[in-house]
Amino acid sequence: MKDIQRVSPVVFKATPLKTEKRNNWEVVMEYSGEGEGPYLVDLSHKPRFDFQDADLAARKPFGIRIPEIYGGSALENGVLANRMNRTQVSLYCIDGQDNTVIPDEPGFTDVTESTMFVALIGKEVFSICEKLTALDFLDPQRKTPFLFQGPFSHVPCQMVTLSRDGDSSGIVLTCSRGYGRDMIHAVINAGEEFNLKPAGENRFTKWIKSL
Amino acid sequence: MALIITCPVCGKRNGYEFKFGGEEKGPRPDETDLTPKAWCDYVHMNHCVAGVQKEWWCHKDGCGSWFTIYRDTTTNLERQVQKADHQEAEK
Repeated sequence: MKDIQRVSPVVFKATPLKTEKRNNWEVVMEYSGEGEGPYLVDLSHKPRFDFQDADLAARKPFGIRIPEIYGGSALENGVLANRMNRTQVSLYCIDGQDNTVIPDEPGFTDVTESTMFVALIGKEVFSICEKLTALDFLDPQRKTPFLFQGPFSHVPCQMVTLSRDGDSSGIVLTCSRGYGRDMIHAVINAGEEFNLKPAGENRFTKWIKSL
Repeated sequence: MALIITCPVCGKRNGYEFKFGGEEKGPRPDETDLTPKAWCDYVHMNHCVAGVQKEWWCHKDGCGSWFTIYRDTTTNLERQVQKADHQEAEK
């Protein structure tokens, strides 16, 4: 075998209709029976990094600004930056830039292959979340996008609420890779009454571009 | 009664998200002339205050920060919020 093989920790019980090979990941673009939403999309192939520096205000990873407030997020040039605390920020390359590699400068950790990453999109997303966590995604004091660091289905996660705008509501969620299978099982089960279905990357791309 | 703890990074959260880190006992004793008994007392002996005490908590299910709070052990309610050490150092 000449190429490395990357395997997503997320597995759906649905039949892929269209797939694409990208950076040694098998990316599903579309599943059969995706329905009318809400959707659960596997994004584990999207590059993600943790960035740490004692003086974050002076740094601009990927040329984007880092939110000043803890729990604040910013989407710029397709990169979502989430301020975790005084010294750390998580960076998700969610729109394009799938070929992003770890920058050759200190402070970066590539967490793409050590974590799972999914998006929950659709009108009833927060009703599904309400069944799995006590965190208040609809807190009027928080302005989107914003980061939660807390338990989701009892698993420590990072969750970023990108939109709370009716049909285009959506969050992205990441946690340790090992929880992937059980996390998907819990989310699909909680979303069953809302007709939650696995969807391919095309749904996510369309949604993120509409924000 | 449900314990609500104020994390200096994430704000008020359910007490189940946190791990208890013991009483705040002050700085580690100087190792010069430190007797085994004094060290043992520092490590193992607690005041077990019936009232307000300063204690360490870790936001294990969230941001992972270690910080201190004042908690009334008789009512299990937080009394006064302390900033995390890294925030105090920031000043």
